[in-house]
Amino acid sequence: MTKLSSNKNNSEIILELKDVVKSYNSGGTVFTAIKGANLQIKKGEFVSITGPSGSGKSTLMHIIGLLDNPTSGQVLLEGKDISKLQEHQLANLRNKTLGFVFQQFNLLPKTSALENVTLPLIYSDIPSSKRNDLGIEMLTKVNLLDKLKNTPAQLSGGQQQRVAIARALINNPKIILADEPTGNLDSKSGDEIMEFFHHLNKDEGRTIVFVTHDPDLAKQATRMIVIKDGRIC
Amino acid sequence: MTSIGNGLKNYISNQFESLGSNLVYVAPGKIFDDKGRFSNGGGGHFITTSFTQDDISVLKRGLKNTIVFPANQNPVEIKYKNTKKNTTLVGTTVEFGKYRNFLPSENNGRWFTNEENDKKSEVVVLGYQIAQDVFGDINPLNKKIIINGNNLKVIGIVDKKGSSFGGPDLDSFVFIPIKVSNRIVGNDHIQTISIWAENKEDISNIKEEAKKILLSQNYDKEAFSVFDSSQLLSSINTIITALTVALTGIAAISLVVGGIGIMNIMLVTVSERTKEIGLRKAIGANPNAILLQFLIEAVILSCLGGLIGILLGALGTFAISKFFPAQITLSSILLAFGVSSAVGIIFGVAPARKASKLSPIEALRYE
Ligand SMILES: Nc1ncnc2c1ncn2[C@@H]1O[C@H](COP(=O)(O)OP(=O)(O)O)[C@@H](O)[C@H]1O
Ligand SMILES: [Mg+2]
Repeated sequence: MTKLSSNKNNSEIILELKDVVKSYNSGGTVFTAIKGANLQIKKGEFVSITGPSGSGKSTLMHIIGLLDNPTSGQVLLEGKDISKLQEHQLANLRNKTLGFVFQQFNLLPKTSALENVTLPLIYSDIPSSKRNDLGIEMLTKVNLLDKLKNTPAQLSGGQQQRVAIARALINNPKIILADEPTGNLDSKSGDEIMEFFHHLNKDEGRTIVFVTHDPDLAKQATRMIVIKDGRIC
Repeated sequence: MTSIGNGLKNYISNQFESLGSNLVYVAPGKIFDDKGRFSNGGGGHFITTSFTQDDISVLKRGLKNTIVFPANQNPVEIKYKNTKKNTTLVGTTVEFGKYRNFLPSENNGRWFTNEENDKKSEVVVLGYQIAQDVFGDINPLNKKIIINGNNLKVIGIVDKKGSSFGGPDLDSFVFIPIKVSNRIVGNDHIQTISIWAENKEDISNIKEEAKKILLSQNYDKEAFSVFDSSQLLSSINTIITALTVALTGIAAISLVVGGIGIMNIMLVTVSERTKEIGLRKAIGANPNAILLQFLIEAVILSCLGGLIGILLGALGTFAISKFFPAQITLSSILLAFGVSSAVGIIFGVAPARKASKLSPIEALRYE
């Protein structure tokens, strides 16, 4: 990866959206889910995104997380226009720079917690001998050392989300993107996860963007973004 | 399927060897066409033409280093006690037993002698099957059977020959001295002439010579055939090749059907696993890594499938081979293996390729 330019102003902004539009074409009718979004997120920020259901929060997160392509507009990650990158370069960014946490966890079924956590390492240049150690280290961080061998079906929702967070963190990403990470959890599990996010942000300096519909959780962020009907307010 | 056809060919050449080698046959009718295939227009001549003792003498005089011997064939009924059977009575000479490999083996009696022919002794040698059919568990040796009111003593039983494909079932024939048969059937017509050659290399010359001699005996060239076993063999092989092609066709159809089966399984697996592909992409897998994973899985699965198929095929062939000469060849194994692997790999990897081109979220959302 090429290091960021020496331009100090630019290096502050780790993530930027410029006039991003996302339209879906379903059965001939075009639906525009994101109607021109402009956004700048600085390194080390802890950002919450709220908004009514269907307002485009997930769509926006997917575009930020390089999981989906915008219909138009620009996405800049560490100052680089990602539309100019090749597929393997995008894969590398998803693998190392970004950690995405899904509302539905998206763990591989019939696969142990440890294997789920170490999955991203297969696609990075970590030697296989080190993968398990790293996975155990990550699972220790999320307090699941006793569940290494459990499959997702043998874990509670909160535990599954912690496995998913450990997976998102395993390659030491600068940015963590979480789409309603607590949406499927009880408030106690949700609080634990929020606490962990605070730790990741304050103590480890990671940039965090998370979506929630819980106003109390949203207020814990250093910046609150509200999205309504595909527009950032 | 193809193993059946291949087995058949080997089986038939073995059969031919058991009927004696270095032999040229003269038979009525046009059996082969100009291209050496079985002719389909010879039926009429087949029934009407016959040869005479004079032809035999002329052939004997004209062909050097050979042994010429006649055989006549007539349908008769044979009787032993209350058992009656229809069979073909072959009247021939000592040489038939020796040069066409019809000598009974030890403990099964003997072929008749020249003296028995000259003295018109009423002796008979039975084919393997007719002996079974008429006598069952009883030892036929020295028993008397009745043919057209004549009592004939069984002096030998020929070893099993197996049915020759397309030709007569020699195991169901009975053999007697030609002079006796001439008396029993009331004529001295000869249906087939066998010519044994001392040297294999002479066979084609002998065939030419024999043809000339018979033409000079005023036989129409359409009225008789001169051929040797290799010619017969190659004609039969042509038929079997056609048969094998047909069987291969059936095999191909079953391979296609099987391939579609594999394809469906692969497609189902891939659609189930499109979500997985989406997730792997989301955490940073590059499309090539995903393709490689699916390729390896498809190779392992299809090879396993191919192996199981070949094992089952081998078992099937083994089972069939009890009733029918079937054989497995390397090429049929490779074909089956190739098709199942190719189908598995193509249909395992192609949808994975498609899925790996979706954006991660599209793949993750795949239902
Ligand atoms: N693949 C898609 N095809 C068509 N419409 C979609 C698709 N994904 C999302 N949408 C629509 O885009 C809008 C925003 O969806 P989403 O971003 O999931 O909302 P949120 O996460 O804020 O609830 C919704 O109206 C949704 O129906
Ligand atoms: Mg959503």
